[in-house]
Amino acid sequence: MTYYQLISLIAFLICFLSLSYHFFRLVRLGLPKDYSRKTGNLKSAVTYSFTGAMNPLKKESAYLHLPTYTAGILYHTGTFISIVLFFLFFFDIKLSYALRLILICVMIVSGISGIGIFIKRTMTKKLRLLSNPDDYISNLIVTVFQIFTLIVLFQESFIPYYFICAALLFLYLPLGKLKHSLYFFAARYHLGFYYGWRRVWPVKSNKQIK
Amino acid sequence: MKDNNSQKHKAIKILSESKDNKLVTHLNSCVHCGLCAESCIYYLTTKDEKFIPARKVNLISSLYQRYCTFTGKHFPFLTGARNLNEEIIDEMVDQLFGACTLCGRCNMHCSVGVDISYVVRAGRKMLSEMGFVPATLQSTVNAAIQTGNNMSIPVEEFTDTLSWLEEDLRDEVNDPHASIPLNVQNTNILYTLNPREPKFFPLSISAMAKIFYAAKEIWTLSTSMYDVTNYAYYTSNNNEAEVIAERLYNEMLKLKAKRCVLAECGHGSRAFRWEAPNYLRKSFPFEVITSVELLAEYISKGRIKLDKNLNKETITLHDPCNLVREGGIIEQQRYILRNAANNFIEMTPYGIDNFCCGGGGGQLSMSEYNERRMKIAEIKTEQIRKTGAAIVATPCHNCVDQLIQIDNKFKLGVKIKTLAEIVADAIVLE
Repeated sequence: MTYYQLISLIAFLICFLSLSYHFFRLVRLGLPKDYSRKTGNLKSAVTYSFTGAMNPLKKESAYLHLPTYTAGILYHTGTFISIVLFFLFFFDIKLSYALRLILICVMIVSGISGIGIFIKRTMTKKLRLLSNPDDYISNLIVTVFQIFTLIVLFQESFIPYYFICAALLFLYLPLGKLKHSLYFFAARYHLGFYYGWRRVWPVKSNKQIK
Repeated sequence: MKDNNSQKHKAIKILSESKDNKLVTHLNSCVHCGLCAESCIYYLTTKDEKFIPARKVNLISSLYQRYCTFTGKHFPFLTGARNLNEEIIDEMVDQLFGACTLCGRCNMHCSVGVDISYVVRAGRKMLSEMGFVPATLQSTVNAAIQTGNNMSIPVEEFTDTLSWLEEDLRDEVNDPHASIPLNVQNTNILYTLNPREPKFFPLSISAMAKIFYAAKEIWTLSTSMYDVTNYAYYTSNNNEAEVIAERLYNEMLKLKAKRCVLAECGHGSRAFRWEAPNYLRKSFPFEVITSVELLAEYISKGRIKLDKNLNKETITLHDPCNLVREGGIIEQQRYILRNAANNFIEMTPYGIDNFCCGGGGGQLSMSEYNERRMKIAEIKTEQIRKTGAAIVATPCHNCVDQLIQIDNKFKLGVKIKTLAEIVADAIVLE
């Protein structure tokens, strides 16, 4: 194992342990308790929370902001792929030429999306007023990580810098808003539970409302 | 600011010692994308960035960051962590009490799934601990706790009102035995009221009494505890909310009614049906339903007969947020109106996507925010205007109040009615 792999591995473990702390804290706090009389179906509502409720046609935050929403989806897809690739690179698993080409395309689009989101946050008054340094750093560090992933797909000799960048990302992740990689799932669960308990979700189509 | 560190300490404890998985989750989830802005009637009507729902969440999460996280304690500038001081308290009062109707529209459209109104309520709870609830709102809670109803109506005045309403009912149904029963035990239904009804809108009581008469229902009102509202839900003072909720709970047990039927009141329905069992930390041994569900039940079971030709004017429906988006009563009011009115048309948007009328979240009680409240009503005004309806039906007395004010200010020329009034107008007595 090279020194840069070791650094990234240690950073990853620190990140993993930190997120595990958050995860087990939520587990320790337990599932929601509600004494009122349930009228809905929790299972289908929680499922809906992760599926139908995320449908861009049903979310104003999506259909009123399609470019931003699309950029967000592409950016998060790129992030997820980058994390998977980190492990492939770490274990020196070789990728086929065709797959590399596809990934390069995906990472280019994803990286551009990340830069676009950063520019929007910088240039829009509404977002500037809402933002703190963590918002910019989180956006930047993930985008840089994606760009470094892209470079490694082209040029393997770049890999030491790539692993150092990955280490920085892993060390920063538990400190700020990147924690939403864990809390997002808990938030969707709680929202599904809340609306499911009261039979608000899953939403019936307008045609079903008689 | 009141110089009381122990109060501040108590407020911080709401965050630092929270055993609430949901609160901890939502305080850690907002990514500041700002996409919630267009879901909020305050932002839509003013374009003021301070009203973006994420900014409201940020007020509380910045305190959470400061006092409960490693980063916020050691590097507060990084995450925008803030100290609890006079400046942020002023902002919290203005934005959490004065610029949020707790309509919950932003929750549904949040890109992550943050329950924004839940976080706002946690912020209101912190303000309540520190004694910063607007006096106008707190006085409504105090009236309910001290007198048994939020309008401080004396029992004699209440029974007098019911007495003449009973006379009217007898005349209307042409039956000298028709009655508005009081404090009867072992009935099927204990019916509750919004105190605005006996005080300002007695016709909605008459309407419901006529419906009960037509359905041959065995029901009663209580003279000692009939108030469906619980404004302590709005102040997020759970101790006071518990006191108010327990009174109705105890009245149900005392009168041994089978069902508690909640009058047309959005927050009252929410407060007693969904929140009260949690305030009291026990499941209720009786059924709690809204009058909307009861009316739909009467129609579907054929217990009342309606002639929709008796309601000829075009009717549109305003969905109260607490009943619909926060209570799951979505289809019943539509079923009722399609059976009771000749021409029912929807607003756009409607159902769980509806816009708040602007009167929720305690706004009607907080006169200091009246100007803002009527500004945010512009959206509902346009929705109503576009329908061309002559009547706006809504199963909520708070909404009725706000819609009447909207009608006056924006010269809509519409009538505002409760569902019971519309159903009563369409009833065919056999």
